[in-house]
Amino acid sequence: MVVERINEILGAKPVDAGGALSSGAYVICGDSATDVTVAEGTTAQLLIADAPGAIEINIDVERGANLSIVHLVTEHSSTNISIAVAEGGVCRMTQAVISSSDSRVVASLVGSGARFELGGVFVITDEDQTSVTVDVNHMVADTVSRTMVKGVASGNAHGSFSGLVYVAPDAQHTDSVQSSRNVTIGTARIETLPQLEIYADDVKCSHGATVGQMDVDAILYMRQRGLSLVDAKRLQIEGFVDDVVLHASVEGITDALTELLGEKLTRL
Amino acid sequence: MLKVENLHASVGDKMILKGINLEVKAGEVHAIMGPNGSGKSTLASVLAGNEKFTVTEGSVEFEGENLLDLNIEERSRRGLFLGFQYPVEIPGVTMANFMKLAVNEQRKARGLEPLTAAEYLRMMKEKSAIVELDSKLTSRAVNEGFSGGEKKKNEIFQMAMLEPKLSILDETDSGLDIDALRIVATGVTRLKTKENATVVITHYQRLLDYIVPDYVHVLYKGRIIYTGDKSLALKLEKEGYDWLINDYKEE
Amino acid sequence: MEKDTKDIIQELESGDYKYGFVTDIETETIGRGLSEDVIRLISAKKGEPEWMLERRLKAYRHWLTLEHPHWAHLDIPEIDFQDVIYYAAPKQKKALGSMDEVDPELKRTFDKLGIPLEEQMALAGVAVDAVMDSVSVKTTFRDTLAEKGIIFCSISEAIKEHPELIKKYLGSVVSYADNFYAALNAAVFSDGSFCYIPKGVRCPMELSTYFRINAEGTGQFERTLIVADEGSYVSYLEGCTAPRRDENQLHAAVVEIVVEKDADVKYSTVQNWYPGDKEGKGGIYNFVTKRGICREGAHLSWTQVETGSAITWKYPSCILQGDNSSGEFYSVAMTNNYQQADTGTKMIHLGRNTRSRIVSKGISAGRSQNAYRGLVRVAKGADNARNYSQCDSLLIGDKCGAHTFPVIDSQNPSAVLEHEATTSKISEDQLFYCNQRGLSTEDAVGLIVNGYAREVLAKLPMEFAVEAQKLLSLSLEGSVG
Repeated sequence: MVVERINEILGAKPVDAGGALSSGAYVICGDSATDVTVAEGTTAQLLIADAPGAIEINIDVERGANLSIVHLVTEHSSTNISIAVAEGGVCRMTQAVISSSDSRVVASLVGSGARFELGGVFVITDEDQTSVTVDVNHMVADTVSRTMVKGVASGNAHGSFSGLVYVAPDAQHTDSVQSSRNVTIGTARIETLPQLEIYADDVKCSHGATVGQMDVDAILYMRQRGLSLVDAKRLQIEGFVDDVVLHASVEGITDALTELLGEKLTRL
Repeated sequence: MLKVENLHASVGDKMILKGINLEVKAGEVHAIMGPNGSGKSTLASVLAGNEKFTVTEGSVEFEGENLLDLNIEERSRRGLFLGFQYPVEIPGVTMANFMKLAVNEQRKARGLEPLTAAEYLRMMKEKSAIVELDSKLTSRAVNEGFSGGEKKKNEIFQMAMLEPKLSILDETDSGLDIDALRIVATGVTRLKTKENATVVITHYQRLLDYIVPDYVHVLYKGRIIYTGDKSLALKLEKEGYDWLINDYKEE
Repeated sequence: MEKDTKDIIQELESGDYKYGFVTDIETETIGRGLSEDVIRLISAKKGEPEWMLERRLKAYRHWLTLEHPHWAHLDIPEIDFQDVIYYAAPKQKKALGSMDEVDPELKRTFDKLGIPLEEQMALAGVAVDAVMDSVSVKTTFRDTLAEKGIIFCSISEAIKEHPELIKKYLGSVVSYADNFYAALNAAVFSDGSFCYIPKGVRCPMELSTYFRINAEGTGQFERTLIVADEGSYVSYLEGCTAPRRDENQLHAAVVEIVVEKDADVKYSTVQNWYPGDKEGKGGIYNFVTKRGICREGAHLSWTQVETGSAITWKYPSCILQGDNSSGEFYSVAMTNNYQQADTGTKMIHLGRNTRSRIVSKGISAGRSQNAYRGLVRVAKGADNARNYSQCDSLLIGDKCGAHTFPVIDSQNPSAVLEHEATTSKISEDQLFYCNQRGLSTEDAVGLIVNGYAREVLAKLPMEFAVEAQKLLSLSLEGSVG
């Protein structure tokens, strides 16, 4: 299992009952409610793997702390992750979703200099019904967020992305980029709602969303060079999601992520 | 025309100009040279009235008035023109519209009637020829999508349109190929009269082959540390600033 | 500079609404409140046929089952629908034969509004239908248009004189069951314009409707229906103003456009209803449903400049039903003081090879809230659909809000859809540059805002574009300097 592999790579241990993380790698697996705190100045890694059912996690990234999250959604699950990042704190998150599921991340930047980055991929096929939500709240001045979610849907799958960038009054110098890129195949349906809600004027906020299809010419070209249709498609989709996978928040897990997605990609 | 005395200016807590003295008379051309970070662009910005900088000490007199009492547009309307090192892009606002407003503000300040559309068009045509500015550019948005050379030509074109008394050209030569440099510099020279004056801020002596200065000043660490004639620029080109800076340090 | 900008913002907030006068004209109104009897009365006053009354009553009964919508990013005070006057008409002594017979006071009103109702119109080449409160006052140029077979008249007349067209098209694009305000409008609409362009006819002049709310306490519920038959073309303009009053007045209009095969319709609006004062008192609630349907190869283009109203709730939309049809939406929405706007569009791609384009420019100043809300939907059978959306927001001052709520729903894998949005403020560098060239900060802001909106303004017919530019600068008054 990919979860175990990543676990092994990280050398992760379970989160203690108190939920306090010091430097090192941790794992939360399955259906539970957990409160996690990353203490001031520490650098921690957290693997979150779902199990069927609901999972709810509240994470406090304290002053100057640095947390990297890998979030894997492989089951019929509903995940709610709330993250608060304090002054000078950084939270980087990589999210891979390959199942019918409902995942919601709410990140609040509550201290000056706080930063949140999320790179997400969802690959869904057949009858999957998947919803991915990423809300980022810029509550104070001088905070940064980057959200990039890439979606691939085939068969009769229905994928929806909802993203919100909220900039509170007086949260000046907010710097936020939100992007939703999607490819549909077959009779799949993609909905995307990239939203901005801005109450401060000296900000740099932009968002973009695209829904497109596979590049038919490129596939033709690859097949002419002898690749099977399936491989050509897979290659192209891999290229599409590659930047998220390659820039995973935790080093050394690229292969494991590629494997996780690769298995799903063959079913497109 | 311009008399700067003991000018000190800072941005935030950082003092950048530390006692500039400079006098420019009608008909003169001054060049200001100096290594990076010496305060050349700051001097230009402060004279134009950029509110990013705070004047903490000293005085600036322009045509007998206290320049520091005036805001940016008032200085402009009194005939002070700044050619920007990095001209800003203003999306959607056409050059033609922009300049029409600016020219008429200038005329209003001088007690003249606004130009009619026909007069204005004639003026645009005539002035754009001075810098060989493609007349198509005037129907485009201000500086938007202009090449580096076009932006600089555009600055000189605006200078021609506004007929200032004192023009401060901030690194107008940077980023120009030799043809564009010749065009821009010839444009400046053609606009030269006995009544107006020019201050050229530059890194390179090559611009001064075209625009011959009466005085060359060297700015270093917020002060003018040396003033010479045009031969100084040649010497600086050959020998760099070290000999001056070393002298200055010894002081 | 920071301080300067703030001063200017304050100055702009003091800007005045120049259409705020009231016309002293005798008005016939019915009492406040809404009931089946009121609807019967409106219908009777208009001398409508029985089938029209039945339609109204059906809509009313449906409306009674509906709740006021809450989904918009708007703070709408409770509206007492029993406290509105649903019918008000300037009293006219007798039926109008020519322009000379129009009440001189009424003519003066429209003169003040700058509507070229008379001879000047020949020069301007615009045919105007002017609607004051609930009735259409005068439709000009009717004869010239009639030569080409074009019908341009008030909707009341059309109901009587062209029942076959009205029966076929009225409510065919926006049904009474569409939404709360569409139902209300279908029940109580009093007047509006009707326009029919026959097959293959290119309308030789711009058609225009000018709406004016005058009477106190009234709501205005106009209904516009435009039918462009196969291969025809028309450019239609709509303008609106209202007097300055401390109370809020309701405006709930419906515009339906049917664009038949290969026809082309351009609909432009300059909306300048009274926005309320700088403390947010008074102003029009502008809740409008506008929608067009495009058959095969048809094209519909919406352009709007929205500067007025206390609250705007409006989404001019295109249903791209026919193959190879296309829709466009160009919008400038500017809010100042306490104004709120939630506006945008829906592009519903049903046919194959359909195209749509959205360009929205929001400008918020003062304490206003300005939202873009849009939907781009590609249905299962809509092969090769294309959409491009660009939604920009400009903030002037730090007390206002700018929001973007697009929904993109692709149900067909051949669709290529793109949405981009940016948020910006007027940069200090831009102001400095303009100031250095001698422009005052107020002029510079006006210039930059107009530049920012240029792509949309360029889509307006010439006369309207000039008006809209002035309006933008005017609406900014008291917001920057």
